[in-house]
Amino acid sequence: MFLTLLKKELFVEFRTREITISMIVFGLAIILTFAFSSNVSPVIIVNFAPGMFWIMVLFVTVIGVHRSFAYEKEFDAFSMLISAPIDRGLIFLSKWISGFIFLTIMEILLFIPFYKFLMIDFPIQPWLALGTTILINLAIMVVASLVSGIAMRARLSEVLLPILLFPLVSPVIISATKISGSIMRGEPYALWDIWLLIILTVIVVFGLVGYTLFDFITEE
Amino acid sequence: MQFFFHNKSNRVWLVLIIGLMLFNIWNIVVNTPMVPDQHWAQKIFYVHVPSAWVGFLSYFIVMVAGIMYFIKGDEHWDKVGLAAAEIGTLFISLVLITGPIWATPIWGQPWIWEPRLTTTLILFLIYIGYFMMRAFGGHAERVKRYAASLGIIAFVDVPIIFVSVKFWAPEIQSHPQVEMTSQPPGILIPFLLSLGIFTVLYRLMLKYRIHVIQVNYKRVADV
Amino acid sequence: MLSVSNISKSFNYRSVLKDVSFTLNAGETVVIMGKNGAGKTTLLRIIARIMACEKGKILFQNQNLFDGEPSIRKKLLYIGHAPAMYTALSAIENLTLALNLRYIKANASKILDRLNHFGLGMQANDPISIYSQGMLQRLKLAYAELTDWDLLLFDEPFTGLDQDGVALMDKALTQWIKEGKTMCMVLHNMERAKQYGDQILYLNHGVMESL
Repeated sequence: MFLTLLKKELFVEFRTREITISMIVFGLAIILTFAFSSNVSPVIIVNFAPGMFWIMVLFVTVIGVHRSFAYEKEFDAFSMLISAPIDRGLIFLSKWISGFIFLTIMEILLFIPFYKFLMIDFPIQPWLALGTTILINLAIMVVASLVSGIAMRARLSEVLLPILLFPLVSPVIISATKISGSIMRGEPYALWDIWLLIILTVIVVFGLVGYTLFDFITEE
Repeated sequence: MQFFFHNKSNRVWLVLIIGLMLFNIWNIVVNTPMVPDQHWAQKIFYVHVPSAWVGFLSYFIVMVAGIMYFIKGDEHWDKVGLAAAEIGTLFISLVLITGPIWATPIWGQPWIWEPRLTTTLILFLIYIGYFMMRAFGGHAERVKRYAASLGIIAFVDVPIIFVSVKFWAPEIQSHPQVEMTSQPPGILIPFLLSLGIFTVLYRLMLKYRIHVIQVNYKRVADV
Repeated sequence: MLSVSNISKSFNYRSVLKDVSFTLNAGETVVIMGKNGAGKTTLLRIIARIMACEKGKILFQNQNLFDGEPSIRKKLLYIGHAPAMYTALSAIENLTLALNLRYIKANASKILDRLNHFGLGMQANDPISIYSQGMLQRLKLAYAELTDWDLLLFDEPFTGLDQDGVALMDKALTQWIKEGKTMCMVLHNMERAKQYGDQILYLNHGVMESL
């Protein structure tokens, strides 16, 4: 049943391409703003690059995840999911994993523009960077999907989503910045293993909490 | 609905707590020893730490109330959650005010991203979102469920936030006075006393606030 | 089959349903009538577990709908005002998805056959965002025919239908009644209510009265 739901998320997105396109274009706009506001001085930017990257990801996540829940309200489509005889936690899982896929696609496409426009060198260990990025994406998306699920039916949901999400997701952003910075500087794993543990904790804890809570919060 | 202080035991508690609080302030100002290089600044800890304790206890109660609301579906737990969230935010604001007051003379600046204070600040921001959700979320009945779930995830997030903030800037020390248990009895005993008095005060405040919220709900529902 | 007891629901402390109770036996059709805003749709959505309520209990096939396994709702179908389908997907894709979510193996040719029967064969592959109200109503009818339900909650089945559509709907409803199926409908027309309903209930400002 989870696969049916995930397939639906991906298929709807494949049809409309609303989420991915808005995420990518918004991401590009943010990169451009970073470049203008930092005067493209490689010596300075290299220290802030990880932070800038994850700020961009966070902003783009808000756009994507909000859209992902907003289209469910058109034609009352969400009723199809919640009145179906299925475990509602699976709806949360499908939103989480599909959001994760969209976010990863966005990052893959924006990776090169980010480094080239800001004129910084690629990380020395690309596979390590990719692996940790995937985990971080999972962690950001699990919090974002849960908060968006809570905010989706609220009035002012587009305002409440970032206001609630940013403080809640702050451990992930701190960890992500530290991990990317360490990898860019080529530091050994022992120096940044704690951050990976925090990321994994967020994935597990919020995954379980979201799976359990979704049964209560999806109803109108 | 009855006036809260018509109840005799509530009245007794109120008088008792006013007395205890006055004694507490006198005790802190007059009886506790001066810490050599901090002078009066150190005394704010007899208020700062109990406020933090009560604030976090209150947010813990918000989480418990949220879980109970989902399990039992009882309106009462929603009121408990709202009351605890309000009082918790009040005490957390006190923590965020008293912390910088202490830090200004000791560290030379009001804010240096000390992990406990940073965690408190992040939690405070989450709860501002919580109250915005209560205010702007839409139908009151629907918002109750969202508020309950926010209360749960906010508290679940606390240890994660604390660990990440702690390792984020390891060169910043936790304030030394927090390790109160290793203090001499001259400091420890008044401190524990203050902690106890704040907890009793909190209990009465929570009870009062739940009562007020109940009265308000009734009034709105009767119209 | 269905036993609804003491359902209460309010929006911002304004009561929409007050202690609504009724029972529905297998093979019966109940028609709920009432003015706009009387709480008819709300009641159906609460039974379908799309909306939460403050108080009350609902038994469906002797199982508690509010705290049982989701699979209890397998034979309960709700069809509301809005189509509850994805605007970006076509009729066939929407129906396949909706059936899959109810653990029914969707067969494309069978779906197409039903769509043809209700006059939607030409548009079966168009996204439903371009459908008119009447076409959506026919689509819902096709959905109900393809689904294996024991209890159907149908909110205003006749809205937006043309002459042919009304005839199709009438045929389907009559057929279901003949087959001994159980239904709970919201209707506005008294003649129709008498035609289909074994029981007619009237919702007046959230209070249930029987006629």
